[in-house]
Amino acid sequence: MVKNPYYDAILMAAAAVLFIVGSSLLIGFAARLIAKVLGASRRKQENTFAGYLFASPWIVGFLIFVLIPMGFSLYWSFTDYRVVSNAAPKWVGLENYLQLILKDTGFRASVVNTLYLTAVGLPLQMGAALLLAVLLNQKMRGERVFRMAFYLPVILGFNTAVLLAWRLMLNTGTGIINQIIRGLTQIFPPFGYLNRALIFVQELTSAFFLGLSNGKFNLLIKVWEAGFPAENRIPLWVQSPMWSKMSVILLMIWGCGAMMLIFLAGLKNIPKELHEAAEVDGAGPWKRFWRVSFPLLTPYIFYNLIVGLINAMQIFEPIYVLYRDNQPLVPSTISMVYYLWQASFRHFEIGYGSAISWLILLLILAITFIQFKLQDRWVTYDLY
Amino acid sequence: MRTIWPILKRLGLYFLLTGATVVMSFPLFWMISSSLKTLEETNSAGIIWLPKVPTLAAYISILQNPDFLRSYFNSVFYTTLALMGTLFSIAVVAYAFSRIQWPGRNFVFFLMLATMMIPPQALIVPQYVFFNKLKWIGTFNPIILPGFFAGGAAMVFLLRQAMAQIPKELDESAFVDGANHIQIFWEVVLPLVKAPLATVATFLFVGLWNSLLAPLMYLQTVKLYTLPVYVATLYNINLTVQQWPTIMAAAVLTTVPLMVVFFFAQRFILDGVVVSGLKG
Repeated sequence: MVKNPYYDAILMAAAAVLFIVGSSLLIGFAARLIAKVLGASRRKQENTFAGYLFASPWIVGFLIFVLIPMGFSLYWSFTDYRVVSNAAPKWVGLENYLQLILKDTGFRASVVNTLYLTAVGLPLQMGAALLLAVLLNQKMRGERVFRMAFYLPVILGFNTAVLLAWRLMLNTGTGIINQIIRGLTQIFPPFGYLNRALIFVQELTSAFFLGLSNGKFNLLIKVWEAGFPAENRIPLWVQSPMWSKMSVILLMIWGCGAMMLIFLAGLKNIPKELHEAAEVDGAGPWKRFWRVSFPLLTPYIFYNLIVGLINAMQIFEPIYVLYRDNQPLVPSTISMVYYLWQASFRHFEIGYGSAISWLILLLILAITFIQFKLQDRWVTYDLY
Repeated sequence: MRTIWPILKRLGLYFLLTGATVVMSFPLFWMISSSLKTLEETNSAGIIWLPKVPTLAAYISILQNPDFLRSYFNSVFYTTLALMGTLFSIAVVAYAFSRIQWPGRNFVFFLMLATMMIPPQALIVPQYVFFNKLKWIGTFNPIILPGFFAGGAAMVFLLRQAMAQIPKELDESAFVDGANHIQIFWEVVLPLVKAPLATVATFLFVGLWNSLLAPLMYLQTVKLYTLPVYVATLYNINLTVQQWPTIMAAAVLTTVPLMVVFFFAQRFILDGVVVSGLKG
């Protein structure tokens, strides 16, 4: 049926433009008519027409791609609906939700994994961003080059190609990261202790979260009883269920440049006089950072926290590229969105998938709402 | 001692920053270096920072792969078309939210900001069913056309903030001269927001070029695959030996457009158009 997909796409794009222009004109005229009936002045009628005409592409798109789909997915989330079987949705009430919350171990694992990425990954990411911003905020030459270098990972971001480069670097045996760790340990033995201590802490945390997801904490006990890692231990990045999420966190930290820019803007907004006054009072640089800069940075930290939370809850690409089809690792890594994709598009369970997407949405809204409620306790807006 | 201390501090700062730069750029370096290696070198047990004899064999092999070339063309094609439609519609809508006073504007604007809270993934299931009904699975339509409806509330917001800063007197005087909104939009407002437009275009380009989930869901056939979808298939978990040089050559070729765009657009992004838009 499809002769030339490119030709078709261009034709459809032209048709879409016509559709948008047509519907915008329609909405514009309708709005003007209503304004006229309500007895608005000639000028006001014209503005009403122009306003709705220009805003309509978004309004129409909102109806077609957001509001109506959300309505349907809310309905389907209460039904048993499979797109392949061609049968109509069958009402099942709360069954999908109950199944997801109470029984589905895969979904529970995906929620706990996402929680891990948020609870462990996000603070590390924000910390790295803040550190780089503080370093860049010292007046110096070449700042631009450093800024570019720190921001470039955001652009490359989660592109499949770049993720595969990470996959190569994270190979347990021959990957460059573990080779560097081995080399540094040989040259400088204290580094080996640091490495092993980090491995220990990481594996304990990871085992704890894995225990949360399947309800059995024997792995945590095993790691604890094995005690301090042996001398030749190296991180098992993309190989072990205890490390699979840490690899994703590395990627998050690598992409901290966007947060860094926000922090940098915050630091540059802090009035110099405050620092000077604190210095006169005898505060050292450490104290000045925590007592002067940090409180004034809290609105920016809050912003990064909200955006970072929403982003962390939506991670998909690294999981797909690094772990798809890697059966022993899947339960330890799948994120909520990956699970949604799997249920909807590998098993084509539309009803079930809709319920998952509503749970994700509710979770994001709830967490964002709690953050906004908590902000009075620690965010300082006084000076703005 | 008093004179040497600031110099030491400066040196330490540069040392830290250079170290961070090396770490942050390392994946890129490794990608390029590995693409010039042989298969034995990428899988070697020792560290090979740079291949002794760089070889272009991996590039020759990937450039002879018709699937890769087609996916490259597909990416360029879909990104161009989607970028044009999205950028234009975003500018139009941003104009409505900043330069025209119309009843209901605040409500619609608030609604748009509220949609930013909805993760796009929460909508993919019903959208998939919708596109399936239209018989659009296996075509480019689902990944190109939604953007035409001013897709991307954050980008509309960014442009609106920029447009709102233009003095009102400019269009007032144009009105007196008999111009209408379409003329003012095209001839007065757009030329004044070139830098924010460039920023938005860059973000849109990066988002489209890197996009994986939507193309993966909707394209379905290898003939239509875009780069991220195709490149992901190069790494096959079931193989014991991965063709790393070839994969990395594909990766380098995939990231080149991103780097070129970033190089030209970096002054817009890094000078904080985004950040100043946030505060308003």
